[in-house]
Order: sequence, then structure tokens, then C-alpha cells
Amino acid sequence: MNFLRSPRLWLWIAAAIVVVNGFFPAVWILFTSLKLEGELTRLPITYWPQNPTVQNYIQAFREQPLGRYFFNSVVIGVLSTLLCVTVASLAAYALARLRVRRRGLILSLLVGVSMFPVASLMVPLYQTFTELGLRNNYLALILPHAALSLPVATLTLVSFFAGIPRDLESAAMIDGSTRVGALWRVVMPLAAPGVFTAAILAFVNSWDEFLLASTLLPAKAMRTLPVGIQLYQGEYSFPWPLISAALVVALVPVALIIALFQERVVGGLTQGGVKG
Amino acid sequence: MTLSERKYRRSFGDLSEGTLAFWLLLPAGLLLGLIALYPVGRLIYTSFFKQRLSEGPQATFIGFSNYAQAFADERFWNAFWNTAKIVVVTVPGALVVGLLLALIANLPFRIKWPVRLGLLLPWALPLIFVGLIFQWFFDSQYGIVNDVLIRLGLERQYWLIQPSLAFWAICWTIIWKTSSFVALILLAGLQVIPSELYEAAEVDGASRWQGFWRITLPLLTPAILVALIFRTITAFQTFDIPYAMTKGGPGTATETLAMYIRTESIENLNFGYGSALAVLLFLVSLAITVVYLRYVRGGDE
Repeated sequence: MNFLRSPRLWLWIAAAIVVVNGFFPAVWILFTSLKLEGELTRLPITYWPQNPTVQNYIQAFREQPLGRYFFNSVVIGVLSTLLCVTVASLAAYALARLRVRRRGLILSLLVGVSMFPVASLMVPLYQTFTELGLRNNYLALILPHAALSLPVATLTLVSFFAGIPRDLESAAMIDGSTRVGALWRVVMPLAAPGVFTAAILAFVNSWDEFLLASTLLPAKAMRTLPVGIQLYQGEYSFPWPLISAALVVALVPVALIIALFQERVVGGLTQGGVKG
Repeated sequence: MTLSERKYRRSFGDLSEGTLAFWLLLPAGLLLGLIALYPVGRLIYTSFFKQRLSEGPQATFIGFSNYAQAFADERFWNAFWNTAKIVVVTVPGALVVGLLLALIANLPFRIKWPVRLGLLLPWALPLIFVGLIFQWFFDSQYGIVNDVLIRLGLERQYWLIQPSLAFWAICWTIIWKTSSFVALILLAGLQVIPSELYEAAEVDGASRWQGFWRITLPLLTPAILVALIFRTITAFQTFDIPYAMTKGGPGTATETLAMYIRTESIENLNFGYGSALAVLLFLVSLAITVVYLRYVRGGDE
């Protein structure tokens, strides 16, 4: 029983626990999406797909405007992220670099606002956007999504700006560049990783958001992926082949983002413990 | 006046540093004002009116009647206690599971990305999709949970059909979804504990178990508090997972406060009463936030 003493073995087991725990639901839904209805409603249930097929994916795009939902999610995700990161960069630069009165109060206010329950904001936002005739308009979701990620993005960027040596900026200004020039040519390139991190967090938040999306953009042509796919299930029927295929399609972008930029995401999430 | 300050004054004309700061902060202020502060004001205002769109657009001032109605409303209390039960079960649950995951992730693996992705994936999955996927897990006919139970020689359970089982299935799902975020925060806390402390303890003859209780946990307390507060606030807002898994059912057995707010205000278009319910949820979050800002974050300003 010597191998039980091996630390390597225990490391493998420990790693397997975290990996299986994290990946299992996503992998299971991927397997489900490759099984036809007949296989899904057979007992005992199968684990590996017996006859893997992409039929469900074709159906998912054919029976529902899944492509449209995807497009809506991308438009809202990209535009709200751009808005959020632009506004957050300006604010974060001021908070990190300029003498701002009541700086502590502003930072506390930002944290406070990030804790506002979305379910509470939903009611007045629904009323306001309906009165403005903006319900079922992309703007009705782009603005709230940008605002909801703004505190997190700003706090992330404040710590990034604060980490850039002031001397670099002064040196550029002594060399004859204006403060704006120094900001653009010296500070922004150094802050780019921070801006990118904030952008990833804002995009994932927007991609995942359901409550406001279902309230403010309920029209079929305007639904985002979470809203559209959630409505696949009928009162009594659960078209699992379709739902699972649609879920896989919707998960690919976030899975790619976190796989490609994992270190950045971890860094951004753990900075001073921001909201997830 | 230093050189850089003079340069800076030149480049912005007569803009003082305070004025520049004002203009840089203005867009953020406008956005948050429009999407967070104005709505909260309007929410509180509406909560003092009787406004039901099914009875026409007019609003009648009724003072605190909506609140009185809420405190006498059985469905409100049901939703409140369901939410409170979810908080009481899933916050400690996610902390314990998250701590275990963080301790594992902190081990000296040579290849780090599989474990890191294992922690990130649950965080990145949309809540509503997690609810749908786990609904499939807990399906009484074709779900894998029952399949495993039957293979172990146990009985098939009607997870999302029996009220108490539905509650536990929802809690399980929430703990799975949120523990990885807790783990990421705790992992960041673990990584700054100097390894010399453990070496010194080992020299003094302390066991690993003692090291965990005497070194790891005390030094991890700030990170644990941050995770605890964030989880408590978000748990009070629970909506997506029970909405996807049970729609609050069977009946209203798993309906949360956020779900009841949505039903009243958006589906029944009962803005006055829905707003009063939303104010109550807001007040709970506000109270926890104040505690957080005062006692947890207060130290670093």
C-alpha cells in the first residue's frame, strides 16, 4: 500500500475533486445535447451519448430564433461593456490620481450602489423605460448593464491606476507632453490590462443577467439568450434536446473568455473582493 | 507649485484639479444617478401610492398602507421566510465548500489551469442556466441524481415536486454555483499567508490540523468576512435559480422575495404594492451593506 503514501496521488485526487465539481454540469449538458429525444427518455439513463448527433443543434436554431437571441446578447454585452469601461476609466483616473474631495465617501458610495438589489431597481426601471417608450429597445438594457458593472469596473481600475508610478507621467510631461498626452501615451498602455480585466467582468455580467433582460426586453425579437432559452420550457413539457443544445451555444462565448483570460479574470474578481 | 503642476495648468487652461476631477467623475455620476439613485427615489415614492395598471394609470396616495398590507400578507411572509431559509443554508454552505475548494486549489500543482478553470466555470455560468441544468439533474424520471440513488439501492425521490425536497435541491444548486466565487476570494487570501509561518509552526511541533486552526483560519478571517457579506446580500436577492428550477413551486413553496416582487409589479402591474415589497428588500440589503462598509471595509480607507 505504498502508493497511498505518495503525495502525488493525493494531489491528483484533490485536483480531480475541483475539476469534476466545476466541469461536470457543463460537460453533462454537452453530452445531453448530443443525444436524441429517444435516448434521453429511456431508462436506465445513458451517460455517454450512444449515437452522438448534432441534430439538436439544427433543431434549436430552426425552431426558435436562437441566432437572433445570440445577436441580441452580443450587441448588449459589447455596447454595455464599452460604455461601462469608458465611464469607469474616467472616474477611476480621477479617483486614483487627482485630489478629490470626499474620495472615501465616493468609494463607499460605489460599493453601496453595487449592493443595490436588482429586483428593487427592476420596478422603477420598468416604469421609467415604459414611459420613455424605450421598453424593447436595446438602450433599456445597455444602460442598466453598464451601470450595474460600473462600481466593480471602477474599483478594479482605481487599483490599476494607483499602481502606475506617477514619475512616468511627470517624466512625459517634462518632455513636453500635455497631461492628456501623457495620459494617452503613458498611462493608458500601462492600464490596458486593467481596462481589459474590467471589460471581461462587465461582459460576463451582462451575458449572464436575466431579471432585467426579461423585464425590459420581453419582445421575442429582442430577447437575450438567458431570456429566450428560459422560455423554451413549456408549462408541462421540457424539450431537453433543444434546451441543452441552446445552452451549449450560449455557454461557448463565456467558456472561451474564461479559458483564454483566466488569470486576468481571477485577478479582477479577487481585487479587494468585488461582487460576482 | 511643482513643475508638473504648472505644466498641467497650462494644458488645461484655467481648469483646476478639482474641476477636472468633477468632469471625469460626471459621466459615472450621471449613469449611476439615472440607473440606481433616481430609481430608488421613485421606488420609495411609488410605494406610498395605490397604483394598479389594471385599474387605470392613476395613482392615489395611501401613506403606509402598502406596508401595512405587506406585513399582513401571508404570501409576503412565506416569501420572506423562504428567502431567509435560503440565506441561512446557502451562505454557510457556500463558505464551507468554498473553503475546501480554496484549500485544494492552493496546493502546489505544477499545472494550474485545470483547477483554476474548475473554479471559474461555475462563476461564469449564467445563474438561470445553472438552474436549468440542475433542473435536469433533479428530474425525477431521467435525472442523474435519481439514477445515482437507484444505483446505490436507494429510492427514487420526487425532487422538484415535493416542497421540502425542492427547497434542498435549490439550496444544493445555489451552493454549487456560489461556492466557487467564495473559493476564488479565499484563495487570494490564502496566497498571501507567508509559508514561513507554517514552517515555524512545524519546527515547534505543531500538526497540520493545528496549523489550519491557529494560522490559516485567523489570517483568513478578513477574506472570509468579505465573502460572507457579499454572499449574504446576494442570497437575499435570490431569483434566477429557483425561478428556473421550480418557478416558486410547488404552489409558492419555494417562492423568494425577489420572485414575489416580480410577480406583483411586472406580471400583475401592481406598482404600488410591488414597490413597497421592493423597498423592504432594499432595506435589508442596505442594512447589510452598512455593516459591511462600517466594520469590514472601514479599515482600508
